[in-house]
Amino acid sequence: MTSRLIGLTPSRRTVLGGLAASGAALALPARFASAQSAAPIKLGFQLHRTGIGAAYGRWYERTAQAALTLVNEAGGINGRPVEILFEDDGTDPKRGAEVMEKFASQSNCDAVFGALFSHVVVGTAPRAGELKMPYLVCSEGHHVASGKLNRWTLQPGITDVKSQVQAMAPWISSTLGKKVTMIFPDYAFGHDHRDAFVPAIQAAGGEVIEQIAIPPTETSFTRYLPRIPSDTEVIYHVMVGPAVLTFVKELGEFYGSGDRPQIFGFIDSLEAVNIASPGLEFLEGTHFWEGHCRYLQADAGEHEATYRAAVGVDDTGASVADAKDISTYAHMFSVWETLFILKAGMEAAGYQGPADRQKLVEAIEAMTDMPYSIEHPQGAKTFNGKTHQVFGLQYISKVEGGKLVKVHTTSPEDGMYPDEADYTAMSF
Amino acid sequence: MRQLPAAAALALLPGAALAHASERMVILTLPTGWYILGAAVAVALTGALALLGRLPAFTARQLWERRVIVPRPAVSWIAALVWAALVVTGLLGSRDPMANPLPLVVWTVMWVALTLACVIFGDLWRGIDPWTGPVRSARRLLGRTGSIGLVRLGYLPAVLFYLAFAWFEIVSLSPADPAVLARVVAGYWLLVFVLAVAEGEDWLERGEAFTVYFGFISKIAPLWHETQGTTVRRFCGLPGAQVLRMAPLPPTAIAFVTLVLAGVTFDGLAETFWWLALIGINPLEFPGRSAVTGVNTAGLLALWALTGATILAALALGLRLVRISQTGAPLARFGALAGPVLLSFLPIAAGYHVAHYFIALLTQGQYVLAALNDPLHRDWALLGLPKHWVSFGFLSDAASVHAIWAVQFVVILGAHVLAVVLSMRLSDAPPRLSGWSHLPVTVLMVLYTVLGLWLLSTPTGA
Repeated sequence: MTSRLIGLTPSRRTVLGGLAASGAALALPARFASAQSAAPIKLGFQLHRTGIGAAYGRWYERTAQAALTLVNEAGGINGRPVEILFEDDGTDPKRGAEVMEKFASQSNCDAVFGALFSHVVVGTAPRAGELKMPYLVCSEGHHVASGKLNRWTLQPGITDVKSQVQAMAPWISSTLGKKVTMIFPDYAFGHDHRDAFVPAIQAAGGEVIEQIAIPPTETSFTRYLPRIPSDTEVIYHVMVGPAVLTFVKELGEFYGSGDRPQIFGFIDSLEAVNIASPGLEFLEGTHFWEGHCRYLQADAGEHEATYRAAVGVDDTGASVADAKDISTYAHMFSVWETLFILKAGMEAAGYQGPADRQKLVEAIEAMTDMPYSIEHPQGAKTFNGKTHQVFGLQYISKVEGGKLVKVHTTSPEDGMYPDEADYTAMSF
Repeated sequence: MRQLPAAAALALLPGAALAHASERMVILTLPTGWYILGAAVAVALTGALALLGRLPAFTARQLWERRVIVPRPAVSWIAALVWAALVVTGLLGSRDPMANPLPLVVWTVMWVALTLACVIFGDLWRGIDPWTGPVRSARRLLGRTGSIGLVRLGYLPAVLFYLAFAWFEIVSLSPADPAVLARVVAGYWLLVFVLAVAEGEDWLERGEAFTVYFGFISKIAPLWHETQGTTVRRFCGLPGAQVLRMAPLPPTAIAFVTLVLAGVTFDGLAETFWWLALIGINPLEFPGRSAVTGVNTAGLLALWALTGATILAALALGLRLVRISQTGAPLARFGALAGPVLLSFLPIAAGYHVAHYFIALLTQGQYVLAALNDPLHRDWALLGLPKHWVSFGFLSDAASVHAIWAVQFVVILGAHVLAVVLSMRLSDAPPRLSGWSHLPVTVLMVLYTVLGLWLLSTPTGA
């Protein structure tokens, strides 16, 4: 066994090893005793350990480990203990496909999950399809629901960008203003926001009066800001990358202490960055989409505290070990929820081993409602088996006193859109 | 659609490109341009003042001497066994490059921390290299005393090995993968072992990339030791004192020094917005190493060629500016100048390495401590570190980032000031450069100062 095993306590691992050698399966710990097979369920985790996704990878691993502990403490899956095999994909699509190959051929994993970055998902999914390996991604990409991938690739743990953006429009239009200027980086990521938001805000009775597309290599924005029309009521920004702080600073200098439009952004810009950082003062009073509220809210659900404690995150979204170490809180719940969906899917399918992989996919496709619970701490969701995409709640927070305070929760319908694919009609 | 957010590019291990966008996010708001200008002026002024005033004497002082406690071959044998254990761990241990001891030892302990230690305390590698002992034993066992003439190649084998290493680190797909790294380490050890058994253990100092690398880099250390027979003498002196006592570099050693400089420069350059834009990659959407393997291979080689050509051109230009007539053939005079003066680029290579990997030391170093804290993943706390101890919060904290930048600034500035002074001293002897003829090399060093600081402060995306 070359992979690191986690989730089993050392003593248990030793016990299992010893038992496997002696064949004394009857002496297994009581909580796994109901299993027909004592062999652990093996899940591959495609981890962005190195490369540009590493900041996310660190938290995704941490979240996965926390969820795994909970799953095993509650008796594992179908009475069997669960292991996660973490493999670094270097945030690279070629390595992603290699890792998939390894999970299937060498480790004989039962399913694979955890990938976040879109290019890795798109580069790995075809291989998952060829190897007939259930591949549960956590990438937010619309590539799943658009029908671009395959029967074996599902996204049940997090909504896609199209849904997120679309869900923002009704509230922006009704609360912040109807005339919107979009500022976005001039490539696929920015274009996705533009393409989803423009029709959505129109449907909500507003309009995008200016689109300012900024070249990705730009690191100063002063020459673009005068293009913001003076009658703009809302600025919608999705700037990303190392120049974000500069963008906020320059936007602040542009408006000075005078009147400014309402400002709405996606927390992706500042994920893992303290919102109270020097230089971000201008964001006070502005709004953000959050996939999961970073700061513990006054009306947080009953499972929020348990989830935070398990992952090791405090009330401000920072690591319990270092208040400056801000988690990727808006997104990492997807890993947690995906593991519990695997558990639910395997239990529904009566999953016994790799021969049942297809049954597992079919069981997940059959899922619909996912109520708010410790398995779904971000909120209730609805899974669409045809498009392999989950839909759910989005949150809008306002920066107040250097904290993100939730001011709106979308309705599930806000993020729905007509099906663009039917994977269930595809063969395995 | 996950994209590069402000803090996403916290790539770890040199094998994974050391882009720290969150740190760059903060650093982009600092007045780094003024720092760079100030450093350039300081290095230029050093050049001017050095022409007018007296240069430091760079004398060495012996601190103490003692007898060798454990003979080098014995230490080397222990090192070889440790490396063998690390290779086994790489193959069979954790698949996590941040937990497996092999990638942590290679990319953090050896490549980053040991370089730093050698720059301060002198050549520590030569005492713990994993070949000397086994090679000596094997030659004795085989009754082998001769050589196969590798020594005639000078530093060429080391150049080729180092080039392969730089490519593996900066360009290849999975340099931090424990199993990949284990095979590379084992393969390299075996290759060098066979060659050294054939040639003799002294060849290591010319032919083995890391022995040459640490040997050169440690020459700017203010502390160093010399071993003669069973006696070890410990010395101290101004950084550079050892450099002035070195023999002029032969052409293959010049190739090595320029390669070291180019390698670490390209490691920084390859992740900048500038380079990514040049090769047509969106820096906010880095597609992964597999998409840039070819172009980065070419880039590494091109930068090496450019580095070598620029330095040698500056020297040639300096020679042309010498007014007094010189004797001897032009090429011979050039060689006689380049050999010593190239030594003055050692502080630049060492200084940039230290500054460039400083953040890696602070980030990956935590994983090393965490691995020592709980080596068998059993929730131990041998060093008393709590769970989730590894943290990079300081990289988005303005005060910490400013402090890191200050350290990098001082290291780069100090290295280049030293380089300018050394270049003056090393060109003292005939065919000497004097007055204006120092200008091209000094200007080049000013430009290197700017480049080094720019690489540390420009936006990165890979």
